[in-house]
Amino acid sequence: MTEHPAAAASQPLTAADSSVSTESSDLGAPLYVAWQVTNECNLACLHCIEESGPGKAFRDELNEEQIFNVLGQIMDHEIPYLSFSGGEPMVHPLFFKMVEYVCSRDGQLKIETNGHYLTPENCERMKKAGVKSVQVSLDGATSATFNRMRVRGNFDRATDGVRNLRAAGVPIEVNYSPTCFNVHEIGTAIDLAYELGAYSFYTGRTMYTGNAVKAWHKLQLTDEQYNTFFETLHRKTEEYRGRMRVHFHEMGLLEELRYRLHHPAALLIVLPNGLVKLINALPFVCGDLRRQSLSEIWANFQRAWQDPRVAQFIDDLSTDPGKTKTLHQWVYV
Amino acid sequence: MRLSKYVKFREEKFGGVLFETRSEKVFTLNSVATAVVREINTGCDEREIVVRLKERFSAGDDIIERDALAFIADLRQKALVQD
Repeated sequence: MTEHPAAAASQPLTAADSSVSTESSDLGAPLYVAWQVTNECNLACLHCIEESGPGKAFRDELNEEQIFNVLGQIMDHEIPYLSFSGGEPMVHPLFFKMVEYVCSRDGQLKIETNGHYLTPENCERMKKAGVKSVQVSLDGATSATFNRMRVRGNFDRATDGVRNLRAAGVPIEVNYSPTCFNVHEIGTAIDLAYELGAYSFYTGRTMYTGNAVKAWHKLQLTDEQYNTFFETLHRKTEEYRGRMRVHFHEMGLLEELRYRLHHPAALLIVLPNGLVKLINALPFVCGDLRRQSLSEIWANFQRAWQDPRVAQFIDDLSTDPGKTKTLHQWVYV
Repeated sequence: MRLSKYVKFREEKFGGVLFETRSEKVFTLNSVATAVVREINTGCDEREIVVRLKERFSAGDDIIERDALAFIADLRQKALVQD
């Protein structure tokens, strides 16, 4: 048996020994579908890769029939892991219907939310449905930092939401994006996540993409800040070992993309309108779930990674990081 | 014995995969390991699994038993199965 740490979500499928050597191309279907169910959001975060916000829903987001057609295909293909994100997924009018459908078919579903709609009633409903976990973004250990990052956001509302999850018995994960103004709180943010009942804490470098490109002067960390950040993460990983998993990647965006070029993850990113991207941080689209089946798109996924425009784009990023401004100008491959 | 709550199994051409969704770890399985997990999914206990594998695979009975039990112990150690 060969173990691949975090293979589906953020690490490649590479064999650690010779028993079974696998890459995502060996698989009959993805292992993970990350579905951005809407681009609408109640917040307008400084670093949002999707540039979501109030009034930012796509005009052509999938309708109910299309949504359940796609969900049915995901379940039929036995894709073991599915996440709903956004925008803010909980503002989607069909959110609970989608959640309850996936869970009724024994899907392992993770919800990625800003935590502002985690009322006791909603948390109970997610518990009853059987969601695998709810991941809440807490970019700071105080109102001052959280509210600065999460424009229109409210730290107390988000943390109350996490407490409601805990009271309902829903497994909790916490996500944290570092900036120059919150990085000093990383240690206390991890402590807070544990106190709130999280079993996992995720972080890494904040990417120069989406809204972050425009707000970079307010966000950018120095190398020295990153060094301290990662030192703290290593220390906290040990401190919480066996109690809460602290996950983080030290790779930068360019390094990650270069790796992916040769080792695509078994992951499809589904946009609110059904387009399927190779990876969030690139503009390349390998299919359209309104017109193509999941099987067709998966078959195209590996070929699309080999399209020379993908390698060229990644090469160009090394000299022109500003190319990430074009992430939402989709290129079909 | 059964797969743990957060573990999903899918068969593939090369064998199969186990996905532990809490840790987001994927384990790839060869054909024999896949056969073991398939039997676990039918509710077999260890003794029944060994009997069924001996019927199916042509390696010596001792080897099959040793390998199957070692694999099941590994699954238990990684908390991928529960009794």
